[in-house]
Amino acid sequence: MLNELKQREEQKNRFFQKDNTIATKDRVVAWPRMGNIDLALNALVSSLGVKIVEAPPNTNEALEIGVKNSIEGICLPYKLNLANYIMALEKGANTLMMFQAPGSCRFGNYTKMAQKTLKKMGYKFDMVVFDMYQSKMKQTLQAFWHVTRCTNPFRYYKGFSTGFNKAFAIDTAERLLFYTRPRELNKGEAERCYRKWYKKIAETTSIWGCKQLKKQIIKDFKKIPIDKNKIVPKVYLLGEFFVLLDPYTNKEIEKTLGDLGIEVERQIFFSDWLEHVLQPSFLYKKESHRERCVRFAEQYMKRAIGGETIETIGDTVYAARNGVDGVIHIMPFSCMPEIVSQNILTKVSREEDIPVMSLVLDEQTGKAGYQTRIEAFIDLVKRKKMKERLNNK
Amino acid sequence: MKFCTEKIIGIPRAISYYNNYPFYYGFFKGLGYEILLSDKTTSKLINTGSQYVVSDTCLPIKVFVGHVVNLLEKGCDTIFVPSLQSTAYKVNNCTKIRGLPEIIRNIINQPFRMIEPTLDKTNNLTFKDFCFETAHQLNIFEEEKINLAIKSGWEIYNNFQKMTLIGIPFHEAVKNAIEGKMLSKPIEIVKPLSVIIMAHGYNLFDERISLNLIKKLEKMGVKTYTGLNVSKEDAIKSIEKIGEIQYWANELDLTGAAAHYMLSNKVDGIVALSAFGCGPDSLMVDEIQYHASERNLPMIHLTIDEHTGEAGFVTRIEAFVDMLIRRKRKIAKENNIKILSSTKRKKIVNAEQKAEDKTLSLI
Repeated sequence: MLNELKQREEQKNRFFQKDNTIATKDRVVAWPRMGNIDLALNALVSSLGVKIVEAPPNTNEALEIGVKNSIEGICLPYKLNLANYIMALEKGANTLMMFQAPGSCRFGNYTKMAQKTLKKMGYKFDMVVFDMYQSKMKQTLQAFWHVTRCTNPFRYYKGFSTGFNKAFAIDTAERLLFYTRPRELNKGEAERCYRKWYKKIAETTSIWGCKQLKKQIIKDFKKIPIDKNKIVPKVYLLGEFFVLLDPYTNKEIEKTLGDLGIEVERQIFFSDWLEHVLQPSFLYKKESHRERCVRFAEQYMKRAIGGETIETIGDTVYAARNGVDGVIHIMPFSCMPEIVSQNILTKVSREEDIPVMSLVLDEQTGKAGYQTRIEAFIDLVKRKKMKERLNNK
Repeated sequence: MKFCTEKIIGIPRAISYYNNYPFYYGFFKGLGYEILLSDKTTSKLINTGSQYVVSDTCLPIKVFVGHVVNLLEKGCDTIFVPSLQSTAYKVNNCTKIRGLPEIIRNIINQPFRMIEPTLDKTNNLTFKDFCFETAHQLNIFEEEKINLAIKSGWEIYNNFQKMTLIGIPFHEAVKNAIEGKMLSKPIEIVKPLSVIIMAHGYNLFDERISLNLIKKLEKMGVKTYTGLNVSKEDAIKSIEKIGEIQYWANELDLTGAAAHYMLSNKVDGIVALSAFGCGPDSLMVDEIQYHASERNLPMIHLTIDEHTGEAGFVTRIEAFVDMLIRRKRKIAKENNIKILSSTKRKKIVNAEQKAEDKTLSLI
C-alpha cells in the first residue's frame, strides 16, 4: 500500500517536473478561476512575496479560446480552466498553480492535459500541482514552498490566516445576500452591499482587519430593511462543484432566483470545502457536510462512487426532510458523476415528495430557454407551498 | 418466478461480462450455482434499456439496464451486478461503472435480489474480499468452498487469457475456456494491412454495439489486433514508455494496447471506437491521438450511440482503409520497392515470408 503510494508519487513527479530555473523574484503566478477562490489565494500568495496575474473573468470570449484549444469530448470546466491559463500566460504569467483530486472523475486529469496542450502551443511555464487526496496539508505547503521559497513562518501564518478569513468572509456575505435578496424592500440594495464588501475584502491586507471582516459584514447586512413576514419559498442549489461556484457558467442562477422571490441555499461553499479538505481528519469537531450526506443518502446509495454524487443525493434527502420546497440540480454536459445522480434523483424526488429540476449546461446554453425553465419550476414550487399552507390552516 | 427456489444466478451480458466472464463462470460453478445469461444485445433490448435511464446516460449503461430487464423477464430473481471501483491504488474506474448497483437499485421498481460486491483496492478491498463478499451475499460461508471456487475460476480465466494472447477471437476463446479445452495457435494468414482497435471489451465484442466492426475490417483484408492480445504487464509497461500515467482502471484495453502496438511498429493504423459521451474515452483517445500524430500514424475515431446507422459507419471505415492502402503504396514507391500484381505475389510471398524486414513488398 505504502509502496504503491510512493510509486504513484514518483510517477506524478516525473510527469510534472518542477522547474527550478525560474528565480523566485521573476515568478508570476496564475491559477484558474473558480467562484471567489482568487480572493483567498491572492491574499496567501501575495503575503508570501510573489507577483500575481489574475486571469480575466470568464466571458464568452474566454470560453471561445478554451473551446478552440481543447478536445471535443471534455467537460465545460476544463475548457474554461484552459482559457484562464492561456489568458494569464498572455498577460505574462510563468507559473501555473492548480490543485487536483485524483480518483474522482475527469478532474484528476485536467492538469496533465492542460500541460500537454499548452506546451504544444509553445508556451513556457512551470506547472505546480498539489493533490487533495492524502497528506494534503504537506503537499499544499510543499507547492507553495516551491513557488515562493519563503522561509519566514510569520508570513505563512499571515498568508493562511488572511486567506482563510477572506474566504469565510466572502461566503458569509454570500449567504446573507441569498437571505436578504428576496426579502428586501428596496430592490437592489443587498446586491449593492455585497459588491461593496467584495471590493473591501479584496482590499484588506492586515491580519486584524481580515479577522474583523465577518462581524462587520453581518452588521452591515442587518441594516438593510427587509420584510420579515414575507412568505419566501426555499430552494436548494445542488450539483457539480465548479458550475455551482462559477457565476458565468451558471448564468447567475442565484440572482435570477432571488429576483423571482426565492431564498436560495447553496450546499457547497468554497470555505466549507477548503476546511474539509485541508483539515486533518482527527480535528473534525462536528459532523462534516460529507458525513451528513452519507448518512442521509444511505437508503439510495450504499457506497461513494466519486465526484459529488453522494453529496447531491444526501442533500436532496436532507432538503426534503427539513422543509425545503424545491431542489435545482445543475451540471455541465456529459459530467459522469452527475449523470448517475440524475438517474437516482428521479426516484428520490418521487419517494421523498420534493420537486427536482436538472439543468444541463454547456457552451451552447441559451439564457432565454434557461430562464423559462426556471420560471416554470418556480411557479410549481410556489403553488406547492401555497397549497401546503392552505392545508395546514 | 420460475427459478426462485433453485440455485441460479443471472449475469447480464454487458460491461464486466466481456472481461471477466470466464472467471465468473468457474467461480459460480464452484459455489454450486447455475448461470443464466441474458440474450444477446438487440435493438429492442437497447430501446427497453433507454426507457429506464435519463437520456444523457451513455450507450453501454443503457445496454446493461436492458440486459438486467431481460433477465428479470426471464424470471431470474438473483442478478449479479458488481461495483468495480478501483483495480489498483488510486486507479479508479469510470463513475458509471463504479455506481452500477446504485443505478440499477434506483431505476428498477421490481423486487429482486442484487448481488453487489465491491472491488476497491484504494480502500484495501482486494479481489479476494470481492469474491468472499459475493459468496456471503449468496449465503455461502464455508471458507474452503469459496477458496476452491476462486481457484477453479482462475483456472478457467487463465486458459481464456492464454488463448486470447495467442490471437484466438474473443467468443471462441470464451466458449473453449468454459468447456475446458485449450486451442493451439491458429495459422496466421498474412494480410496486407493491420490495425489495432482500441475500445473497451464491452463495446467491441458486443456485435450490436460495435456493428460487427472486427468482421467488417477482416472482410476488407485488414488484420485486427485488440486489447486482449496484449498482456497486462506489457500494456502497463508501454503506457509508461510513451510517457503517460495510468489513470483509469480500464485504460489497458485502450491506451495500453494502442501504445504497445505503436511502439512495436506492428500496425499501419489505429481505430478508436467509443460510445458517445464517454468520459474516460474522450481523454484516452486524445492521448493516443497526440502520440500517433507525433509518430505519423493514421488514426480514426468512431463514435457510436443507439442511433448509429450502419451505412455511414461502413463508409467511414472503407474510407479509412482506402487511405491506409494508398499510404502504404506511396511509402513503398518512395523506398523503391516494386509492387507486384496479385498473381505474381503469391509465389513470392512464400519465399519472402522469412525476411521480416521486407514485408512492405507484399502489397
